[in-house]
Amino acid sequence: MSDDDAVEVKPAPSAKPAMSRFLRTAGPDSASSSETETESESDDDEDEQELPKKAGSRFLKGDSDEDESDEDVKRIVKSARDKRLEEMEATGKTMDNALKINDWTAIQNEFDKLTRMVQRQQNMSEPVPSFFIRTLASLEASVNDALIREKESKKKMNALNARALTAMKQKVKKMTKEYEQDIRSFQQDPEAFEREYAVAVAPEVVAPSRQKKSSAKLADEDEDDEDEFTTVGKGGKGVQYTPEGIFKHLQQIQEARGKKNTDRADQIRTLEKLLAVAITPYQRIRVLLALISSRFDYNASLSSFMPPELWSAAQRETDQLIEILALDAAYAVEELTEDYDELIERTPEDEKTGIVRIRGSIISFIDRLDDEFTRSLQNIDPHGTEYVERLKDEKGLYCTICRAQALCELRKQVDPLARVIMRRIEHIYSKPDAVLNVLEMAATAFDFKPSVTLQSASSSAVLMHTLCVHLYQSGNILLRTRAMLSHIYHHALHNDFYTARDMLLMSHLQETIHSADVATQIVYNRAVVQLGLCAFRCGLIKEAQSTLHDIFATQRVKELLAQGVHQQKFYTLTPEQEKAEKQRQLPFHMHINTELLEAAFLVSSMLVEIPVLASMDSEEQKRKAISKPFRRLLDFADRQVFTGPPESTRDHIMQASKALQSGQWEQCRDLIQDIKIWSLMPEAASVKDMLAKRIQEEGLRTYLFTFSPHYRSLSLSLLSSTFSLPPRSVSSIVSRMIWNEELSASLDQSSGVVVFHRVDLSRSQQLAQTLADRINVMVEANEKVLDVRLGGGASWGDRAEGGKGDKRGEQAQERRGGRGERRGAGTRGARAARGARFAQGLGSQMARTR
Amino acid sequence: MAEYDLTKTIIPYLDRHLAFPLLAHLVETNIFPVEQVRAAQYELAKGTNMVDYAVNLFEQLHPDGEVPAEFSAKREKALSTNERLQQEAQAVLDVIEKPEVAQAMRQDKNQNLQFLKDSYGVTLEQIHALYNFGQFQYSYGNYSGAADYLYHFRVLSTDNELNTSASWGKLASDILTGKWDTALEELNTLRETIDSRAASTPLLPSSSHLESRQSLYSRAWLTHWSLFVYFNHPSGRALLLDTFLSPAYLNTIQTACPWILRYLAVAAVLARSAAGASARARYALRETVKIVQMEEYQYADPVTRFLTELYVQFDFEAAQRELAQADTVVTDDFFLSEFRDEFLDNARYLISEAYCRIHQRIDISDLSARLNLSPEEGEKWIVNLIRDTRMGADAKIDLEKNVIEINRPALPIYQSVIEKTRGLSIRTQAMGAAMARAVRNSKSRVVFHQAMFNWMFFVSINGKGPAYEDVKYISK
Repeated sequence: MSDDDAVEVKPAPSAKPAMSRFLRTAGPDSASSSETETESESDDDEDEQELPKKAGSRFLKGDSDEDESDEDVKRIVKSARDKRLEEMEATGKTMDNALKINDWTAIQNEFDKLTRMVQRQQNMSEPVPSFFIRTLASLEASVNDALIREKESKKKMNALNARALTAMKQKVKKMTKEYEQDIRSFQQDPEAFEREYAVAVAPEVVAPSRQKKSSAKLADEDEDDEDEFTTVGKGGKGVQYTPEGIFKHLQQIQEARGKKNTDRADQIRTLEKLLAVAITPYQRIRVLLALISSRFDYNASLSSFMPPELWSAAQRETDQLIEILALDAAYAVEELTEDYDELIERTPEDEKTGIVRIRGSIISFIDRLDDEFTRSLQNIDPHGTEYVERLKDEKGLYCTICRAQALCELRKQVDPLARVIMRRIEHIYSKPDAVLNVLEMAATAFDFKPSVTLQSASSSAVLMHTLCVHLYQSGNILLRTRAMLSHIYHHALHNDFYTARDMLLMSHLQETIHSADVATQIVYNRAVVQLGLCAFRCGLIKEAQSTLHDIFATQRVKELLAQGVHQQKFYTLTPEQEKAEKQRQLPFHMHINTELLEAAFLVSSMLVEIPVLASMDSEEQKRKAISKPFRRLLDFADRQVFTGPPESTRDHIMQASKALQSGQWEQCRDLIQDIKIWSLMPEAASVKDMLAKRIQEEGLRTYLFTFSPHYRSLSLSLLSSTFSLPPRSVSSIVSRMIWNEELSASLDQSSGVVVFHRVDLSRSQQLAQTLADRINVMVEANEKVLDVRLGGGASWGDRAEGGKGDKRGEQAQERRGGRGERRGAGTRGARAARGARFAQGLGSQMARTR
Repeated sequence: MAEYDLTKTIIPYLDRHLAFPLLAHLVETNIFPVEQVRAAQYELAKGTNMVDYAVNLFEQLHPDGEVPAEFSAKREKALSTNERLQQEAQAVLDVIEKPEVAQAMRQDKNQNLQFLKDSYGVTLEQIHALYNFGQFQYSYGNYSGAADYLYHFRVLSTDNELNTSASWGKLASDILTGKWDTALEELNTLRETIDSRAASTPLLPSSSHLESRQSLYSRAWLTHWSLFVYFNHPSGRALLLDTFLSPAYLNTIQTACPWILRYLAVAAVLARSAAGASARARYALRETVKIVQMEEYQYADPVTRFLTELYVQFDFEAAQRELAQADTVVTDDFFLSEFRDEFLDNARYLISEAYCRIHQRIDISDLSARLNLSPEEGEKWIVNLIRDTRMGADAKIDLEKNVIEINRPALPIYQSVIEKTRGLSIRTQAMGAAMARAVRNSKSRVVFHQAMFNWMFFVSINGKGPAYEDVKYISK
């Protein structure tokens, strides 16, 4: 310090004579006061500025070996400070111009700008430019003038202008109060004031030249400064940032955070520079924490997304932060810490526990990164190259998540660990193995990796399992539910239908899902839909149909899967709802192809519904449909007078259904196999084969139902050749139909024919039968009511459905649905209830937000 | 047939002592090398206090090996422990066995305890001695003694945990001593305990997972233990169907131990011959087929496959093939071996019944082949079948063409309506029973009356009541 003082003192004498000259001209009283004033002010300034100034000057010196360094110095100083001054003067000029035409709104704007600049100037601890004081003084005068004129003149100003004038009056008043002293001295002697200001600025200009001479001596004296010199040197322009000043700057930035008029970009630049000069881990962590959060702050609006460059910078910095923490166990970032002084450097040695705990939250950074990533994907057009480019960042993000997980594991932070694992699961659960491999390869390329990786887990299923099990064990119910659903989705994606179904049924989620939050409901819907697709791929047509039916019955597939906003017929969404809805949308690459979904659903509906339709003989029964959406389409297709060649997927399926109804299974098969969307399904060829086989079987059944009234007997071999099925499966299908009493016929083994015994029912007989069915349904309903009341502990006579026999119940329903007309009504009732559960999905939530 | 042997899957669900008979059975069947089974037996015995038995096994295993010294020490220790425990227990037993004490005993356990404490100075710790001694006796193979002590203990003790434990012990002892009647009683009490505990904490997702898992485990255990009883008690098979088809146990089987389906399937096939309960048997069979089919992805063996081939695929050839395999499986199974003939008989019956229902004209030689019988045997079998069953009126044998003609006229409509409504009263009855067990509130009565009303309504529509057996059922 002593050395600094020396430097500081030197310019003073040079300033003194000038001042004393004023003193002589002006009255002694005021002069002395102003002198002390400026003296103390400049003192304060100097205290703050000492270091940077000196460092800066040294830098300059080092740069220019020549003797004309003085000139050089001037130039540099100008660029650093005078630029701002010039800016201010420009503003002042505009203000003057506005004054001439009496445009107070413009003046107000300019004045605000000016004040802001001056404020900054002060923040940087530079003296208030005399120019400002001058402007202020003149402004005060003109405002007063304007007001007087306003009063006198008859013509009124326009309202805006008048308001601006009044506002200006207030502002100027406030400002003048603030700079009262300066203004007074200015008014007393404008010239002197100018000069005084010039002097206050002067030391800087003078100091280097002085110092140059003593520099050799100084350099020898303290070597600490030498270090600083090099560090700052790298920073280039960041002349004023030093390690010691970091905390002060950080605090300033923190205080400015969230306030109006804060220039976020500028803050980020400042922090970047600070990061460059930060030396100790503690400093680096602190700066990084502030830097990352201010990057996230950059974008205030909720609707737009973070610019990708900023995002990648934030991601890199998060990586950096994690790395620092991972390398040095003595530092920890925690959400809850004891209070500490923000302004002092802390080291592990000083702490009682040996660990420096810093307030902050890495997991929230990860959350934010991930959210911003999703948001950007939501906003970018999915069909452009930009989207693909953006998608490439997912790899980096996944790596960051994995590292964060590793860090949490290392530090044994339970709650963040669960959250970060959930994030990881969200990134992998819907990915096919190939993509997952790439992600995992990237994530495990580093030394610092989480305990579970694809390599250690050997397969994606095991990886998912380990991750999910960790969440199942954690106490967080929301995370547990989500993990469960993701796990189900993953199983379904890998064609593991039974495991996925059992998990879904045993989780009992379907009972509580309607009260869950929207995001979870979306995941649930996705899992269910994927399960249906999985059943379809596995050839479990009935299961596929009943699983997908629920969601298609609502007719809001896209909305329920968060893949598009539904157009409401009867009311329009408020902008807020629409915004919320938009935020929920999944990014395009996560979408489940709805056209494929619809194809799968309609084809399985066709295979289930057409034989049932054929087996019904009365019009009344025909009104009951297993799959309403399919039936509707079919009726619509029936009403069409002309049918052209099929174009859309629906057309294909409708024409195929008609072909199936008339027993032309080959045409049906061809139509179904022609559907182009199948190519999007993995293992498309085997799925097509499976469909062909199903069509043959169902074709046979439909044929028997439709045409049995017209035959007395049918030869099995004929059936087998017509439907090109092996005789054994023909007889198996026929036997099953006879056994289930769907077909009143019997086999004649010796001659190899089916003999039909058909009895036509009279009207009253039909009614009696319907009545019996109704009664059956009623008893079933009674039993259900009873089951609900009593819990599961009923005797075996009750076919307890629901309750504990959930799995069974669900299955039984499916089966009965297949068996058709007899239990149709009962099944429908249950279905409708389940459909309603789906519909409640977003509906209830929306009601709540409204 | 080692691949279908369930011993290994079942043993983890059994008590150490209960596994001995299973292993002994394995020695007899020669599925596995005898040495390996003996080694397993030895390992099993080592953990118990049956020192002599273990030594015996060791000698069998290593005819010239030295018997490890630890056994004698263990024997000593067992003997001394026995002595000590017996003395402790005897004190209590002396008191209890006094006639005046027996008379003074009341229903209320707490009161009894107080009484014993006041008049004879028997404390709770002393009563626990009964439990300890019973357990110890069990551990060295004195099962009947163990059953006695545990019975006394249960009468006196108020500790729920220990009581349940004692019940398990008593059940095991009864099984091992072969007292099937008492074992059945024990089984039922245990079942009630488990069910009541489960009922008090309903299986909702919100309730603690631990509880539901607990009851799942105990049910799985009970399911396995009950096999001993059900396949030995005279009316065990019907009870097995009752128990295993109840939702709670069916759920347990589906989630925890799908291999039990084999026993369920066999019991369902056997149920046919149990006279008088044909409707129930048919229902049980239908349910079983459903479950078997549903769980096919988890568990399948020849027995279950037989049912699916027969009732789902209607592939009689495949069914016959599976039946041949199932024959060996049943023969080798510890629980089922005794029922082999009966099973085959019933299975054949089921095949022919299904076959006859579907076909109009059947070649006798063909049917015989389906049943794994020679033509002569087959003819005899078929004639018996026709004579014994309801088909009698419809089926005629044409010996010239060697075919059976089955002429089943289509069911008259009123009969089909009756068929449809036949089950209603039984179901209503069951509902009534369930309600009777539950709290009798007015609401549930309404449900019941509604169901009764349905039935009465049908009586009036049809002009005659539901089938005779249902009426009988109701009047019971």
